[in-house]
Amino acid sequence: MLKVENIDVFYGEVQALFNVSFEINDTEIVSIIGANGAGKTTLMKTIVGINKVRRGSIKYHGKVISNLAPHHSIYEGIVYVPEGREVFPQMSVFENLEMGAFSKKYTRGQFNEALQEVFELFPRLKERSGQLAGTMSGGEQQMLAIGRGMMSNPKLIMFDEPSLGLAPVIVDEMFDAIVAINRKKNTPVIIVEQNAFMAMSISDRTYVLEVGNVTTKGISSELLNSPDIKKAYLGG
Amino acid sequence: MKHKNWNIVKRIGITLFILILCIFPLVDTNSYHHIILNQTLVNVVVVLGLNFITGLTGQMNLGTAGIMAFGAYSSALVSTKLGFPVLVGLLVAIVIGYLLGRVLGFPSLRLKGVYLSLTTIGFSEITRLIITNWTTLTGGTMGLQNIPSISLFGYVLDSSTKVYYFYLFIVIVLCFTASRIIKSKWGRVFKAIRDNIDAVEASGIDVAKTKILAFTLATILGCLGGAMYAHMMNYVNPTTFTQDLSANFLAMMMLGGIGTVPGNIIGSSMVTILPELLRFLENYYWLIFSIIALLFAIFLPNGIVSLFTGDRRLGRFWITKTKKGESSHE
Repeated sequence: MLKVENIDVFYGEVQALFNVSFEINDTEIVSIIGANGAGKTTLMKTIVGINKVRRGSIKYHGKVISNLAPHHSIYEGIVYVPEGREVFPQMSVFENLEMGAFSKKYTRGQFNEALQEVFELFPRLKERSGQLAGTMSGGEQQMLAIGRGMMSNPKLIMFDEPSLGLAPVIVDEMFDAIVAINRKKNTPVIIVEQNAFMAMSISDRTYVLEVGNVTTKGISSELLNSPDIKKAYLGG
Repeated sequence: MKHKNWNIVKRIGITLFILILCIFPLVDTNSYHHIILNQTLVNVVVVLGLNFITGLTGQMNLGTAGIMAFGAYSSALVSTKLGFPVLVGLLVAIVIGYLLGRVLGFPSLRLKGVYLSLTTIGFSEITRLIITNWTTLTGGTMGLQNIPSISLFGYVLDSSTKVYYFYLFIVIVLCFTASRIIKSKWGRVFKAIRDNIDAVEASGIDVAKTKILAFTLATILGCLGGAMYAHMMNYVNPTTFTQDLSANFLAMMMLGGIGTVPGNIIGSSMVTILPELLRFLENYYWLIFSIIALLFAIFLPNGIVSLFTGDRRLGRFWITKTKKGESSHE
């Protein structure tokens, strides 16, 4: 459904992605792993339109979407959940979720439906719907960021480092939720992670990025057993 | 249930407040007082505008004086040189405000913080220098004289009391509109841009459009305020529109309480009226006023309005201080 073909991306004069190609099919979970500065986040931001492509193209259902502004690509159903729990700290949980539905012209019924889905996924958010987002724990804020992304009823959802800085118990919960999103609604998921083992164990396919290049790609379960990957990303 | 009662109390309070404002000029017939009240009403209009861009959206705009000058001069010129009725002048000021917002909004897409402040100061100063030096059009430092008073379909508002009622009406309408906008989804997006711009982008909201919208609201109200000022004083000159004026509006917004209409009203009233009340101190009145303002800024960092609201969003300096011994959980 989404096809990235040979893209080059620059920050000013510094090249961040070199000739990267990437693909995701309907109902699939794909993980992108790599070290710091490999270009994982850059790739996601480029897909959603925050970064611009200098060469190559991004096609979504056969339609070229490279360099479409973020508010347009989200309208097309591509949602990006940024890293570092980017919530609105001064707003309540409910208001944060409302913001996620902003670009959609929902009726009250559709809005409530989307809201119920998010609350089913994260019952914790329902309990805390009146609380200010900034006063919640890191894990809860991450749930909220994901929930906010789900509010616009995405056709493709991308998670950037959902496990960053969370306690191991919460990390498990987070990955369960991501799998649940994928299973329940057949939404394709792209997940970027430093926690390579976790990401690979829930995903169908994996891409490995190294300093702006895709060095390896393949079925996750196979890559999990590959000696190179084990040595570089899985600690032996 | 409690919520419902509170709403009723609030409505009664607002109605009473408006009634008092309506009756006041009948009780107190001192025309000097009326002029100060009119000045306060004009300031409320401008601060309501500034609140959108600086208070809610968090884009530091120090060009309020320039925006007001645009409104004041355009309305004054249309009604003196072209001889149109004043209401047309006010409309022209609003249109100019709209165009100005579109233009002035653009730097805010690329510039942040202190750089945006400098750009808006630059705009304000350029405007002032142009109206000072374009003598043939604006009268230069002599200013524009004999600006006609507002006439409503033949009824000329020639006394400060008549002007007061008209301006009061405008301000009431604008206050209700502004508070509706603040509570609408647009108001929330403005605040979201101030709080976390990355998350706004990730939510699929057009940041550029929203910032320009906030700027346009500010310039429209700023220009309208300027025009109201011109027709109230019947005279404008460039020395009014200095950087001091911009800073004053910022002080009104900060002291009253950022982001709320009652805060804007309280702030504008305080900064306009309090110095006049302190006149009996003669040479020291401005010093004492500044000290009072400073004390408010230190002890009520979220504005005077935070005294009256139980809103958790407003930091409660004293309460957090005195409750320190107790549990920090809410």
